[in-house]
Amino acid sequence: MNRIFAFIIFAMLTMTCMSGTVFSASVPEKVLKYDTGKVSVRKFDAEQLKNYSTERAFIYQDNLPESESWWSRSWSRFWRWFREGLQSAFKQKYSGTILQYIVIGLFVGIVIFAIFKIIGLDFKLFSGKSAPVAVPYSEAAENIHEINFNDELSTAILAGNYRLAVRLCYLSTLKRLSDKNMISWQPEKTNQAYLMEITDVEKRKSFQTLTQQFEYIWYGEFIIDQERFNLVKKNFDVFNGREL
Amino acid sequence: MEAEIFNQRTDLTALNAAVAEIRQTLGNIIVGQQETINFLIAGLLADGHMLLEGVPGVAKTLSAKLLAKSIAASFSRIQFTPDLMPSDVLGTSVFDPRTAAFEYRKGPVFGHIILIDEINRAPAKTQSALFEVMEERQVTVDGHTYLMEEPFMVLATQNPIEHEGTYRLPEAQLDRFLFKIEIKYPSLEEEIMILTNQHQQKLDNELKEVKAVLSIEQIKTCRTIIKALHVEPKLIAYAAKIVHETRNNKSVYLGASPRASLAIINSSKAIAAMEGRDFVTPEDIIKVATPVLAHRIMLTPDKEMEGLTTSDMIKQIIQKIEIPR
Repeated sequence: MNRIFAFIIFAMLTMTCMSGTVFSASVPEKVLKYDTGKVSVRKFDAEQLKNYSTERAFIYQDNLPESESWWSRSWSRFWRWFREGLQSAFKQKYSGTILQYIVIGLFVGIVIFAIFKIIGLDFKLFSGKSAPVAVPYSEAAENIHEINFNDELSTAILAGNYRLAVRLCYLSTLKRLSDKNMISWQPEKTNQAYLMEITDVEKRKSFQTLTQQFEYIWYGEFIIDQERFNLVKKNFDVFNGREL
Repeated sequence: MEAEIFNQRTDLTALNAAVAEIRQTLGNIIVGQQETINFLIAGLLADGHMLLEGVPGVAKTLSAKLLAKSIAASFSRIQFTPDLMPSDVLGTSVFDPRTAAFEYRKGPVFGHIILIDEINRAPAKTQSALFEVMEERQVTVDGHTYLMEEPFMVLATQNPIEHEGTYRLPEAQLDRFLFKIEIKYPSLEEEIMILTNQHQQKLDNELKEVKAVLSIEQIKTCRTIIKALHVEPKLIAYAAKIVHETRNNKSVYLGASPRASLAIINSSKAIAAMEGRDFVTPEDIIKVATPVLAHRIMLTPDKEMEGLTTSDMIKQIIQKIEIPR
């Protein structure tokens, strides 16, 4: 079986080769033909050629390199110095062109950054988060340890601003409590938080009353006249004098 | 020391009596969960929708049902399932052969108190059906708008999103809930009391005996009073500052909307009224800040991976902001 198969393959290959020979033999030979057409020589107008030669496009001397300016020489010198510095630092050759691009890129980046900073743009584009914006909120930066309560209170009472006077009384009491380590003053703490820090039950109860009165006047904006202010002030004085 | 110098400007007696009655009705059956009950009442008074989240079996549905039962108003319940369609919620137009016209059949969303149980088991398509009705208190079908009757309140319950078969609610819908109230496991003592009550069959009897303690008119009156309560301008700025901070915090991917600021002010007024005051204090704002904001903000993925929760984030933000004093 194998012999028959091998014979068939051999026969097919032989026929393929022979057919190639037959086809190649039947291709006709190419004959080269000479061009026998009449050649007519065209003559150019000498005057026109002269005119052309005076045109700017044909004056090739213009394209000659000009002598280097002071800026170019300085720039080339800088790059040479920069490359040599790097080579001496790292003991190997660097491609001047790549370095040039890196430095130019850095320089452009710094310029863009400086422009953004100067005009006050935030960097949302890069970080996906906008820069924090200050909201109008005037409570910040008031430290009870820096307020001159006596002066401020006298001014408020003289001006008839009893609401502000009660606020100052309350802040002054918080300061006293803080000075005596009965509370730990932090602007972010609520009045209730301070109340819970007072361990003495009696003092806490008294301070609770003061807190309630302060809240009614300050947050509730209850109208307070001199008569009522005197009552509130008396409560604060009693607490600050007797309790503290 | 003289404590009472100021007389109340607003009469809150009726409101406080109503609050006490609801509190007692709910407190008789729900063991512990005082904070949850307070927020449920505050939400009702502030005219907001509420989302109750907790693991299965912590009385979410029971709390919602009890609140609904304590009000003399129509109540309907929708069990959200994965195959629920918007028309199953809003209603649909049906062809009437006698009149040869389409007639609109109202869905279960038409009512005063709507309990949506397991809200996060339905896909976003069904959730979006609630957008209009929750915010605008109206349903538009086939070009016709149907207004909801007042009071209209959606009480929804959901399992935490990590649970099997639940979807995260769309942000637009979460923003429409005034509060997300997280219901935690009871303490050991509370659990013993739950078991004792169940053993003595107290719960079944008390559930049957629950009666409405608040009429629709009373609710409307309470809401009108609450809307008129006083908020000092610096406290408005304080609430705005808290919400603003959620938008500028590096750990927060999605900050809270202005609707959240409004929700803080409205709900803090309700809390103030419940405590017998006709003005808001910083404590009221702080109390409501977490249930109002926690479901409205999204943390950055890295912070979520660290295990930080939105509630923790809100607390951190509050601790950074000075109390107006």
